[in-house]
Amino acid sequence: MNTAIAITGTGSTTASGLDAALDALPPPVRARALRVEAISQLVLAAAGAALADADLASADAPPRLDVGVVLGTGVGCFLTNATFQRRFASGGVAAASPRLFAATVSNAAAGELGIAWRLGGPTVTLSAGAASGLAAIGHAAALLDAGEAVAMVAGGMDAAGTALDTWLADGGLPGGIEIAGAAGVLVLETMEAASARGRRVLGTITGHATGFSARGVVATIGRALAAADVVPRDVALVVSGGGTLPADVLGSLGLPEMSTHDAANTFAAAGPLGVMAALAKAPIDAPVLVVGCCPSGHVAALVVRRGGAS
Amino acid sequence: MSPLGVGVSAFWEGLVAGHSAIRAIEGFDAADLVPGMAAEVDAAVADEPDRAGGFALLAAEEALGDAVLALADVDPARLGVALGTTLGGMRIFEAWDAAVAAGSARPADLPRVPYFGPAVRLAQVVGACGPVATPQLACASGTHAVAIAAEWIRTGQADVVLAGGTDLLCRFVVAGFNCLRATAPAARPFDRDREGLVLGEGAAVVVVESEDHARRRGGRVQARILGTGAAGDAVHMTAPDREGRGAARAMQAALRAAGRTPGDVDFVSAHGTGTIYNDAMEAAALGRVFAGRRVPVNSIKGAIGHTLGAAGAFEAVLCVQVLNANVVPPTAGLLHPDPACAGLDLVYGAARAFDVATVLSTSSGFAGANAALLLGRA
Repeated sequence: MNTAIAITGTGSTTASGLDAALDALPPPVRARALRVEAISQLVLAAAGAALADADLASADAPPRLDVGVVLGTGVGCFLTNATFQRRFASGGVAAASPRLFAATVSNAAAGELGIAWRLGGPTVTLSAGAASGLAAIGHAAALLDAGEAVAMVAGGMDAAGTALDTWLADGGLPGGIEIAGAAGVLVLETMEAASARGRRVLGTITGHATGFSARGVVATIGRALAAADVVPRDVALVVSGGGTLPADVLGSLGLPEMSTHDAANTFAAAGPLGVMAALAKAPIDAPVLVVGCCPSGHVAALVVRRGGAS
Repeated sequence: MSPLGVGVSAFWEGLVAGHSAIRAIEGFDAADLVPGMAAEVDAAVADEPDRAGGFALLAAEEALGDAVLALADVDPARLGVALGTTLGGMRIFEAWDAAVAAGSARPADLPRVPYFGPAVRLAQVVGACGPVATPQLACASGTHAVAIAAEWIRTGQADVVLAGGTDLLCRFVVAGFNCLRATAPAARPFDRDREGLVLGEGAAVVVVESEDHARRRGGRVQARILGTGAAGDAVHMTAPDREGRGAARAMQAALRAAGRTPGDVDFVSAHGTGTIYNDAMEAAALGRVFAGRRVPVNSIKGAIGHTLGAAGAFEAVLCVQVLNANVVPPTAGLLHPDPACAGLDLVYGAARAFDVATVLSTSSGFAGANAALLLGRA
């Protein structure tokens, strides 16, 4: 990366905490959130908390065309697809719901977020399994690094429900995993933008990379560390960003053992939640590696430092 | 793999000839789906439940052959896949839903249901260990797949990326667009009599490669990615911004990233779905970007339908062909240009030959997604 990217706000939501998180939103955003699908609700709640933490945007302010959205999701609108399909299959054409169909695109949550907070910058959704959230943060950092925006709302989310549980139980993903609904969202800014606003910098992203397959894990971590200009022996902490790494990877690279932070498998939210865990417990300014590895084969790695130095 | 036939040659020659592949749906039971027209890929191509994945494999194989690129000559850790889709394994999903409802045996290949399914399958087949992702920008997914491939190359994440999009037709998607009242029996992009879009299917893949890597192996460069852009409308979930502001910002971002001006653009491959609102939005967006200059514009959706997550990837292939042939295919289905689109120099009726050095492709989708690519001659 050419420059470090500042983290100036964080927000997270789990399914059990969703109602309280929605109640904390500004009234127009809360009203919108109550009308949308579960995955969009999780994102609106988490992003609302992150934007408030960063004091970046207001739902009734003029549109911010220089602020974008990059979200990652593993299973996207699976639950909405299932509801649409079941109604259509059982009730015929007359039962096909235009409201539901409009939400059967996996970028619906990003669209809802952009509309609710009037964010008109680059708006992207990525799917890379459980590594989706970390991949989204990396893509957002790259867009900021390239000057495509001054700030990005970035993170990951997946919603859980009966249809998804059934599909997973039927072998929908290798490894027989279960997914807990959650969203984790960061506000990222260029260092210049954060400084110009006088914002507190919670941490910085100095390197990122994505890869694929067990054979790609070592190279992915290596690219992320190289981008951050960090060697393995300087890494203070390795935090789980979702999934399970091949057993011998960290030791073979001379990296510390993995630190886990969350018993539930929050899938695409696991990466952003891992970054938040790193910001909470890492030594100030020490490089921390957050790694996500999905049974699908997707891998993502992010190098972050707690505090404002780069 | 387009509805016009197998391979880039069939796609290109069909476009230049002004052919349309739109017919009554034959690939599945569509008797209750009105309208029931679509542009289908020959049923014998990728005749399997994971048809989108199968399309992508065939398109990637052709792209690698066209690039004369042997996978053995690429470092797997620096080989990536960026493959957009909106439906992924939806036919498997339909079969799974029916099996659950009936309490019967589940279909095979459930891991191919998620949106990342086609990208994972392609990555596994080519042995990619570099970045692999599925951009989800609805009908702009294929466009951003090429953009993210360029980002991975530019930032040193990969040397070679197979980038594109794939989608398939099924009852789920046809019923969905029908219930939105977005579809019509015929696709007439930018026509005064247009009534809506017609769906299509297929896959398009381009090999995106760093210039150094291509030079080292003696690869023939067919076009250059000069700039990419993306922007959100932040206005409405299904309707485009009537003023075309988001699409214009995406195009302007691509120009800015390339250090080019609107005056440098010789041709625009429009999203051109044939819906009343989309085409009017695009006319407004292009008016914002080109400020009165009537740049040649076409749409390929009258020929191959709206291929959703593959649409932008097909446009990328089109643009590469235009840059190499100096020919712009006509807009199939366009007979009487909408006076509201008078600011556009629409190419219709017959192909147009002229010198083309720089082309702009613009795509838009549900949830206010917009993406643009600026490509230049090799």
